[in-house]
Amino acid sequence: MESQIELIYEDIKGKHNVKLVQFVDDLDATNVETVSEKICNLLNEGYINIVADFKKLRYVNSTGLGTLLHFSKTAKEKNGSFKIANINENVYEIIEIIGATSLLEIYDELEEAIKALD
Amino acid sequence: MEVNIIQIPDKPHAIILKFSGEMDSDQIGMINDTFSQINSNINYVIVSVKSVQMISSSVIGELMGYRKQMIERGGDLVIAGIDFSIRTKLNLIGLTKIFRIFSDPRSALNAYRWEIERHAEKIHVSFPSHLKIVPPVRQLISRIAKQKGYGNRDSFRLETIVDEICNNAVEHGMSGNELSIELNMEIDPEKVELDVTNTSDPEKMASLKALLKPKNDNEIKLDERRGRGLALIKMLTDELSVDCSGTGTSVHIKKVREE
Amino acid sequence: MDIIFPYKVSVRFPGDLEYIPPIRKFVSELLQVSSFSPKFAYRSEIIVDEICNNAVNYGCKTSNAEVELICEIFEDRIEFTINDQGSTKENLDQLMSVIKQPIDPDKDVQHGLGLEIVRMLSENVDVVIDEKNLTSVHIVRKREDIELK
Repeated sequence: MESQIELIYEDIKGKHNVKLVQFVDDLDATNVETVSEKICNLLNEGYINIVADFKKLRYVNSTGLGTLLHFSKTAKEKNGSFKIANINENVYEIIEIIGATSLLEIYDELEEAIKALD
Repeated sequence: MEVNIIQIPDKPHAIILKFSGEMDSDQIGMINDTFSQINSNINYVIVSVKSVQMISSSVIGELMGYRKQMIERGGDLVIAGIDFSIRTKLNLIGLTKIFRIFSDPRSALNAYRWEIERHAEKIHVSFPSHLKIVPPVRQLISRIAKQKGYGNRDSFRLETIVDEICNNAVEHGMSGNELSIELNMEIDPEKVELDVTNTSDPEKMASLKALLKPKNDNEIKLDERRGRGLALIKMLTDELSVDCSGTGTSVHIKKVREE
Repeated sequence: MDIIFPYKVSVRFPGDLEYIPPIRKFVSELLQVSSFSPKFAYRSEIIVDEICNNAVNYGCKTSNAEVELICEIFEDRIEFTINDQGSTKENLDQLMSVIKQPIDPDKDVQHGLGLEIVRMLSENVDVVIDEKNLTSVHIVRKREDIELK
């Protein structure tokens, strides 16, 4: 069984190939498979631009980070993007430690991330 | 394409097939040869694809057939280690909807031990006798139960049981960082057994033994300061035994899964 | 009654990733009841997660192998020791190569990010592999602020 994580989806008005995905709880080695499955499904359904709202994401470990890097890479390969907003300072620190802040598209606010889609 | 058949030392009914390269329709013959080498007593096959760059839909069809065979034998065929670079394509052709996917063969094997062998797993926690440490310990046990698939109700009851037993251990035991409380948990898909042992405080033994004297549950008055905890544990568990004959006290409980 | 330092807590668990989330949260909660800050507890949670993941992935050769995590909590620091029950030569070579080289998160590196995070969050990381291929990792993380109540 997995550590608890929930993904909540929302469409963004006026943007047809974009999905807003809220991550809730912890992203770690026990649930990366499930999360990968769900994000892959979105990409396959044509939602090549994903805006990830991390406001309620409490925790990410290195396995989770590796998966986020994969999402970013795969979305780019499809001419899309994987943008992240509202990261808490604890999670941001870990991303910073491994030097991945320049590899992920990170925004302070959700509105900024959505605006950057244009 | 290459394939290694990996026997698992203490698991005569499970096997790992480690593939590498490209699994396309040209390799179906080789895949069939591999499966023909597997003993008929094998009912759990872990197909490891970490080093695989592509899997065609015809190969998936073959694997589905072998999965059906394993299910008929009371087992399963699962996939382990799909690289993210091929995952989107595999999702498109439905692989992840048909098979159970694990991040690696070890996780697949752990699932086999738990679900098919119904193997019990043991956890041991050692901690100092202090009330403040009890909440993290009870949460640990509750979360482990939830992680192993026990429902909220069962997990909550386990948390209560651990809380009461550990509080008693702290209250009636010797305090001091050198003397620890030992908690052993044995969990399987059907039940949980807990053993909590501590070093007793000789000055508190009399009151502890008084608590343990058999009495009817309806004799426990709610305004009694002590005894409610043990009464609660008795009501929540299927088995309870307490041994304080030596220098330590050992509490054993068994709780059968309800949900 | 306040907790007296130092004290020791140990957890022995099966070599299965599923046990790691409850155990890392347990360590975080232990630290918070011991008056360490939430931030310190979070960083320690990350350390525990990464070292336990490595112990399970690299240090559990047999299917019934166990991992032991020992936490020694001092007033000004926490020390973790994690012991596994032995690895294969292949896994150990992989682990040692990860320890020795700096990681590049841009490459498709399946392993290495975790240890890099642990290195950055700790004052000291010692890895000892004995003749039986049993690995012991010892980590020291010092408290950044004194918040004793």
